[in-house]
Amino acid sequence: MHIHKFEKIWLIFGITTLIVFLSVIGVSAFYLGNQPPSCLATINPEKVDTTAPFDKPGLKKVEGKEWDYELVFVASAFAYNPGQVEVPKGAKVKVIATTKDVIHGFQVAGTNINMMLEPGYISEYVTTFDKAGDYLIVCNEYCGVGHHMMSSKIEVVE
Amino acid sequence: MAQPGIGKKTQTKVEDQSSLKGTLASVFLLGFFLIVTWVGVYFLFVDRF
Repeated sequence: MHIHKFEKIWLIFGITTLIVFLSVIGVSAFYLGNQPPSCLATINPEKVDTTAPFDKPGLKKVEGKEWDYELVFVASAFAYNPGQVEVPKGAKVKVIATTKDVIHGFQVAGTNINMMLEPGYISEYVTTFDKAGDYLIVCNEYCGVGHHMMSSKIEVVE
Repeated sequence: MAQPGIGKKTQTKVEDQSSLKGTLASVFLLGFFLIVTWVGVYFLFVDRF
C-alpha cells in the first residue's frame, strides 16, 4: 500500500498527541488517584439535616487524616449553608457538599472547585487553599426562580 | 490588420494535482492550535487550587 510521505507525518503526529493526552488522563486517574467529585458516596436526601457531617455545616478541624480541615456545605433552594466561611491560608481542606432538594451547582469562582450536587449523593473535593482572598461560590446548575441569587463566600485569610 | 490575440501563448503554472503541501500545512495549523489550547487549559488547572 502506498502512503504519501506527508500522510505518514501527520498520522504519526496525530497518534502521538492522542497517546500523550490519554496518558495524562491515565496518570491523573490511576497514579494520582483523581476521581469525579461525586464518587459512590450516598445519603438520604430527606435526612440531610440529621446526618453527620451535614448536621453541622461549616469548617471543622480534623485529626489523623490526609487533610487538616473539613468544610461542609449544604445546598438547598436557594442558598448555601454556611453563607460565608473563613479558611486559614495554606490549609488542606476537604470540601464536602450535598443538596437537600434539587440538583445544584457548587462552583468556587476562579478555582478548580466545581462540583454538581445531586440529591442523594455526596460531592467531595480535596484542595489546599494557598492563595488569600475572597472566593465567590455560585450555583451553576439551573435550580429554580432564585437560582441567580444563590451564592456563598469563602474567605481565605492569612 | 493586426491581430494581437493570435500567436500569443498563455502559460499557466499548474501544480501537481497530487501535492499535499496545503493539506499538510492545514493539518499542522489545526494540530498546533489544539496543542496550544490544551496546554493552556492544563497549566490553568495546575496553577489554580
